Amino acid sequence: MNRRTFVRTGLGATAAAVLGRPSWALPPMAPDRPSLPYDLVAVRGAEPDVLFDRGIEALGGMRAFVRKGARVLVKPNIGWDVTPERAGNTNPRLVRRIIEHCLDAGAREVTVFDHTCDNWQRCYRNSGIEQAVKDAGGVIAPGNSESYYQEVALPRGKSLRDVKEHEVLLAADVFINVPVLKHHSSSRLTLAMKNMMGVVWDRGFWHANDLHRCIADYAAHRKPDLNVVDAYYALKRNGPRGVSTDDVVAMKSQILSADIVAADAAGAKLWGMAPEDVRHIALAAEEKTGRMDLDRLNIKRIAL
Amino acid sequence: MGLGDLKGLRVAAAVVFTAAAAAVFLDPGGWAVTALARPLTSLQFVPALLKAVTVAGIWTAGAVFVLLLTLLFGRVYCSTLCPLGVLQDVVIRLRRRFGRRVRYRYERPPYAVHYGLLYVIVAAFLAGSVWLLDLVEPFSNFGRVLAVLARPPLAALVNGGSYLLGTAGIYALSPVQMHPLVWGAVAGALLFLALVSLLAWHRGRLFCNLLCPTGALLGLAARFSLFRIVIDEHTCLDCGLCERVCKASCIDSTAKRVDMAACVGCFNCLDACPTVGMAYTLSRRGKSGTPPAPVRRGRRRVLAAFAAPLLAGGLAGSDSAARVAAGGVSKRPVTPPGAGGERRFTSACTACHLCVSACPTRVLAPTFLEYGAAGVFQPRMDFHHSYCNYDCTACTAVCPTGALLPLTQDQKKEVQIGTSVFVKDDCIVVAKKTDCGACSEHCPTKAVQMVPYEKKLLIPELDNDLCVGCGACEHACPTKPRKAIYVEANVLHGRARRPAGTTAAPKTDVPEEFPF
Repeated sequence: MNRRTFVRTGLGATAAAVLGRPSWALPPMAPDRPSLPYDLVAVRGAEPDVLFDRGIEALGGMRAFVRKGARVLVKPNIGWDVTPERAGNTNPRLVRRIIEHCLDAGAREVTVFDHTCDNWQRCYRNSGIEQAVKDAGGVIAPGNSESYYQEVALPRGKSLRDVKEHEVLLAADVFINVPVLKHHSSSRLTLAMKNMMGVVWDRGFWHANDLHRCIADYAAHRKPDLNVVDAYYALKRNGPRGVSTDDVVAMKSQILSADIVAADAAGAKLWGMAPEDVRHIALAAEEKTGRMDLDRLNIKRIAL
Repeated sequence: MGLGDLKGLRVAAAVVFTAAAAAVFLDPGGWAVTALARPLTSLQFVPALLKAVTVAGIWTAGAVFVLLLTLLFGRVYCSTLCPLGVLQDVVIRLRRRFGRRVRYRYERPPYAVHYGLLYVIVAAFLAGSVWLLDLVEPFSNFGRVLAVLARPPLAALVNGGSYLLGTAGIYALSPVQMHPLVWGAVAGALLFLALVSLLAWHRGRLFCNLLCPTGALLGLAARFSLFRIVIDEHTCLDCGLCERVCKASCIDSTAKRVDMAACVGCFNCLDACPTVGMAYTLSRRGKSGTPPAPVRRGRRRVLAAFAAPLLAGGLAGSDSAARVAAGGVSKRPVTPPGAGGERRFTSACTACHLCVSACPTRVLAPTFLEYGAAGVFQPRMDFHHSYCNYDCTACTAVCPTGALLPLTQDQKKEVQIGTSVFVKDDCIVVAKKTDCGACSEHCPTKAVQMVPYEKKLLIPELDNDLCVGCGACEHACPTKPRKAIYVEANVLHGRARRPAGTTAAPKTDVPEEFPF
């Protein structure tokens, strides 16, 4: 993020707050892409970085998403102070590989952050993600200070009317959402849509005001350009934090899709749950944020 | 050894120890506290002494060392190892630079008040309270001044810098989390700082010979110290310079006597003496010590008469403390892991706030009267602001008095500082008929599980055997203003069952086919 975009978004947010007409202050949408070869790619049977190499290749390579000079946000789940094999957070090897692909594609800057639940410094460190980001040449930004968040309106939100979004998201040209496949005590499963709770400040409001509704509202408002569901390790119970590695299964799989609802529907099935039983997936599909009718989608399945 | 060297040595030692002490309390990254807290605090006399008592006599090394040091060299502790002593020296130096010139004059130290106070403090301690001790103990007060007064503005500075750098896309400077100010604690620290600064500005090291319990205790030993400051009658010019520069007002230049019980070992007098009339040397005790006014019987009775009601008042305060009992909040303050329980904790914690500074989640918070008047300023767990990290043992590792006993990660996971209480009617799931589960989500042991409720909703269910009282559920609960789930303090810490589970590598189960 440079100073100009900062001032621009800052002015936008200020003006939005003052004028109450925020449409022009909304974050820049991703540039229109030529249509992708597949609606969804599912890969299984290899290490996280290899899964991603093959998956992104099938989608036409990272250049289909990241243009030269683009500012990229890679948003993994770094919510918990647990180690990678506990599957509480996105696999650091995947995060690293995604950043490398973005930089290869000519990204000017790749930033990673999460508004963590546990103490953020411990989460960043013990998840292995901080190190992975540094090794890959990305920037790791803190997400646990309200000063980074700016108010954005959701004019079409049914329950969620406004949120405070992290400035890195506001300034990003490309948003790559990288959840990990987990059981979740609040939302049943946590996948791509749920993972976006980590880019806003006040999550308590979501919990107190129809959680599923809020998750669907936010997904309609801010669709990532690419969703990568990390199912290398999947958390089968006691989610989202997990209690021990007994709760984890190594599925060695990955799902990639530009359609956040499709990614979540496929993730749910992979985990062993019908997508329509996860209310926010059903709501988002109903509102055409994306599609959960997987049998009608053009899916590439890769076994390694 | 040359005379100038002694003062130089004293100043150098003071700078090193005080800088380390300040770093321990202020370092926003938390490195200093991890690296330095233990060696530094093991040499803090009263905390080390308390630890010798609380940890059943194993950790006496630091206290014994300080005692031996004093028996050898007098109260050099007060000018080097004691950060509050050095803080007073800074004020004294400021006065020398900016204020009207001060000339100290010999005064018979106010032994009656000083040792009377020590008597009351010891009596209170034997009765199971650190009442009064925590108000005057130098290390703890130094800690509170830094933790409560200096740390927040420093954090604001760091956060401001971090924010500005962030606008340029540089995130190298991490923002630091702060607990909201506790105004009673702020007022207390301010009051103390004002008192000590005023005393230092006008009367030098009077605090050390009037209120300081460490000064009183070490004074007893210093009286018999081997090395002493003596005035040589033959070479002394009767110029009185030594008396004029004596911050502790313990040199009677007319009588040519130095009261080693009150001397804080700054060696300014040696520096000031124009001849070789003063020496710091192995000495027979003859001239240099003023025998302390022995506490006479009659006075003792008077003191006892004073102490008893004061003591009673102080202790009663802990029971009659005003507590919010409206629900949604613990009736008693939640004590940190390693405390054992409220009584044990409050009888040994001098509220130095080292644990508060070391706590990475900022769940440990200063208090004012939450524990009652006898436990003023002793820290508590504030789950409205944050929660205790399941894998963290930082506070237990740094406590200098043993009020918090060291715990390993495994031990800590079995300590139950409180248990969860679920107020069903206040829960989002019941009140709004929508999914929530924030409590269960944050629970590290799944003592809070979500179980089927009406329709397809899930509702929290407690298994308090598994609860460690970390407060994650209370912190995450989104209901306002009352929390629908909260931690009720265990006045006596209990034992939590470890959740089942191994650390073996996850089992592999790659799907044969994708189910879509």
